[in-house]
Amino acid sequence: MITTRSNHRLTVFAGVAAGAALVTSLAACSSGSGGGSSDDKTGAKITTINVWDPYPQYDDSSDWAKYLQSCAPEGTTLKRTTAATADLLNNLTTAVKEDNAPDVVMLDNPAVPEAASAGLVAPAEDVGIDTSGFDANLAGPGTVSGTTYGVPIGANTLGLYYNADILKKAGVDPASITSWDALNAALEKVTKAGDKGITFAGISGEEGVFQFLPWFWGAGANLKEPGSAQATEAGQLVSDWIGKGYAPKSAISDNQSASWDLFLTGKYAFAENGSWFAQAASTQKKFKAVMMPIPGKDGGSAPVPTGGEFVLAPTHKSNAAGHYAAAKQVIECLVGKDNQVKTADKLGYFAANKDQRQKQIDSDAIWKPWAAAIESAQGRTTDLGSAYTPTSAALSTALQSSLNAAGDADAVKQAFSAISAG
Amino acid sequence: MNTFRRTWWKTAVGLVLTALMLFPLYWMINVSLTKREAVRSGDLYPKAFTLQNYRTVLGDQIPYLGTSLLVGFGTVVLTILIAAPAAYALSKLFVPGRRLLNFLLIVAQMIPAVVMALGFYTIYTNIGILDTVWGLILADSTIAVPFGVMLFSAFMAGIPRELLQAAQIDGASYWRTFRSVVLPVSRNSAVTVGLFAFLWAWSDFLFASTLNRDGGKLRPITMGLYDYIGSQNQEWGPLMATAVVASVPTAVLLVVAQRYVAAGVTAGAVKD
Amino acid sequence: MGIQTPAPAPSLEPALEEQDAETGRTHRHRRRRVRPTTWAGLAFVAPLVAYLAVFYAYPLYENVSMSLHRYTRATFVTGQAPFVGFDIYREVLASPQFWPTVRQTATFVIVSLVFQYAIGLGLAVFFHRGFRLSGLLRALFLVPWLLPIIVSATTWQWMMDADNGILNRFLGVFGVDPIWWLNNEHSLWAVTIANIWLGIPFNLVILYSGLQNIPTDLYEAASLDGAGAWRQFRTITFPLLRPVTAITLLLGFVYTLKVVDIVWIMTMGTGTSQTLATWAYSMAFGKGASALIQYSQASVVGTILLLVALLMGFVYLFVQRRQED
Repeated sequence: MITTRSNHRLTVFAGVAAGAALVTSLAACSSGSGGGSSDDKTGAKITTINVWDPYPQYDDSSDWAKYLQSCAPEGTTLKRTTAATADLLNNLTTAVKEDNAPDVVMLDNPAVPEAASAGLVAPAEDVGIDTSGFDANLAGPGTVSGTTYGVPIGANTLGLYYNADILKKAGVDPASITSWDALNAALEKVTKAGDKGITFAGISGEEGVFQFLPWFWGAGANLKEPGSAQATEAGQLVSDWIGKGYAPKSAISDNQSASWDLFLTGKYAFAENGSWFAQAASTQKKFKAVMMPIPGKDGGSAPVPTGGEFVLAPTHKSNAAGHYAAAKQVIECLVGKDNQVKTADKLGYFAANKDQRQKQIDSDAIWKPWAAAIESAQGRTTDLGSAYTPTSAALSTALQSSLNAAGDADAVKQAFSAISAG
Repeated sequence: MNTFRRTWWKTAVGLVLTALMLFPLYWMINVSLTKREAVRSGDLYPKAFTLQNYRTVLGDQIPYLGTSLLVGFGTVVLTILIAAPAAYALSKLFVPGRRLLNFLLIVAQMIPAVVMALGFYTIYTNIGILDTVWGLILADSTIAVPFGVMLFSAFMAGIPRELLQAAQIDGASYWRTFRSVVLPVSRNSAVTVGLFAFLWAWSDFLFASTLNRDGGKLRPITMGLYDYIGSQNQEWGPLMATAVVASVPTAVLLVVAQRYVAAGVTAGAVKD
Repeated sequence: MGIQTPAPAPSLEPALEEQDAETGRTHRHRRRRVRPTTWAGLAFVAPLVAYLAVFYAYPLYENVSMSLHRYTRATFVTGQAPFVGFDIYREVLASPQFWPTVRQTATFVIVSLVFQYAIGLGLAVFFHRGFRLSGLLRALFLVPWLLPIIVSATTWQWMMDADNGILNRFLGVFGVDPIWWLNNEHSLWAVTIANIWLGIPFNLVILYSGLQNIPTDLYEAASLDGAGAWRQFRTITFPLLRPVTAITLLLGFVYTLKVVDIVWIMTMGTGTSQTLATWAYSMAFGKGASALIQYSQASVVGTILLLVALLMGFVYLFVQRRQED
């Protein structure tokens, strides 16, 4: 035993020594690379501009990728890297930590306050981005504690699609659906007629909360009091849909794409989904899909959340001026007044400036029903700033419990009162 | 003929079991041949049949497939290079602190890949191998090396001591003994370790998404798959088609490797 | 059959057992101090030691260090998180989620292991005595591993769909009411079933190689003595497979304990399917129920997982020594 123990010590020592050597060499490396020419005002010119976007569905031969390439200033090459929305903020965090960040990043709008308060992105003023002319409700998430960091690349929002064939068969007039009661009555009629009710995304996390907010706000609830009685009513609404069999049980784990695929089967009467599917809805021929605004509880249309990405310049430690100069050129190209509609069209979004958007709507009829919704849409982070993230997490938990309760009112009440308690 | 008649029921049972095991595989093929509007209909066969998904995939995904193969084989070679000699030493030679080393190998496998990936990111940024295939091979090998050492040494311990002693009496050095006696006899376990190393590297997503994001076309197929998973839109048809296309070469490889295991066994026996 | 044809049964002892160190030879080694074997041994393990030091020491150090500092997204970037000692450990242990998660993890790991091993062993024995197509079918059994996990996990999710899934339709044939597999209550069982499926190839391969190393003459002798198939299994196969069993279960334990992807894709760790590993993952990346990134809390859970693995390592060494006696 004694022999083994002394051997232990030897090996441990060797390990520690090797580890220490490694750490020292790393330290040496990083101190060596830090000495760039960062202090002069204009900075060294960047010849390869790195851009990160969350649109992996567009490959390098897509219209979007080609369009983005066309925004590379003279004498530079633009390198595009893409990742899923959920990963981009984390990737950016690690990259900024190692001073390895891209020149331009497109972040989902509710992530902007968190990125800003963690110091991941530079204020628009430092970069020189023109932030004027965007609609206040759409540009809201870009401003955190009075400082504006970036601008929307475009915007989208949610609506209620319906299968006109199914409604006709069940004898439901879509125009009558202006309140929750009317919607529930319609759901009852279509399920009695042998079809299925409504698909929505109740998946755990931000995506499920995004889809819950129209009902949450439509009940008169406020994000500052996410555990209120109104919030509970919204939870009860969606919980009942599962309980009564109007909505598929898979809603607890469906994301928006999965919920859309279910609607596409032609078996569901309604689908809560985004404007990004407007094109797909009009081109599919299986049934007639139409969109209407999401009804509020007691009538009128419910406020819907704004979706879409912001375009921002990440923080740099070395040669910040050079990186920001490059970022400014690319961002101006993407969201400058004359290009807004072009950019938005490539992504299936709305332009974030009212006049520009009007041109867009005039030129393509499928956008028409969305015009009012986008105008009255609310920013998710407008009320709370970076405190939205924990509130959204709590709402997600309550929503998950409510859907699992499948209509059980006590369980729903408990789920929402747990938010106020916590 | 006689043996076949006696074992035909085994073949039948085997076929049923394999079919059960491979049912998700069938589902994948089913969806890959289905139009988008019907992927969630749950039909048992592709009712809304289309080949469009494969057309999309064959255009887009081939380079990723090549990268994945390169990374897979690179990981196999690196893993065996490091694991086999170490296992020989741990099982047949005297190594101070071996108990501790064995212990560290167990613990090493427990470090969450997330933690490893973040650590690598720092190291790779500093030595400049971020977004390279070689960096990815190095990272992927960390999944397989501890396992390889443990499996190799478990099987090398079974090599009869007399075999090694005979070689040494003939005047062979340790290295030659290792190369010309231990390695050939361990071919069977080498194939097993290699197989696992390959499969782990093949299926890795976490390291690839952290360490090789900017690799462009030099990214593995597991990342290529994510091209069909946008933030709000996911195309399961092409995704499943990609998975099918990616499975074909590897499935062939697997069957060949299995043959080799059997061949290795016989060859070893003959040699003795 | 088998490369160890000339070897007697005891040589099956795997090398993790300290054959040399535990036998009398140890003392001889010590007395002669550094023998050539030692030098050779050191030379052969040197690459491994270097490799471990480079690739594992730093992440390990990082993990422990992060669990002792309070990191947020901002301090992660600046690297200036305040040192808080074991505060975060206390918080995690006191969290209402902790003990339920531990229980779920234990269920997930134990049930997965038992079934993976039993099915894997059954299949290995089944395939061991060759029959027509056995080689091909055995190879096909590995194909599930080739599937990207996002594909197999999503397929399981669809198969387990409560309203329209093939599994419920199949059970319906036998008059079983549809089960809501992926809700909070049942999700633990859903992910366990999928994980068992995922682990069968691994168990099959290793146990099959183990079986190949058992000398066939033992079986011949036993069947001359009139032992039936079950007795042969009990008195020869199972005891001689014990070292391989130990390593299979140990590795299976470690892999199951840290599995994230299949659970994450199927349920995002919601309800009872949350394990320590998925919990750590959701906090480390700020995903799912934990939208707020919690590096330090994730590291604490990671460190706890490491300690559990350490404990298993001790158990393994202990079992091994008992086997040697």
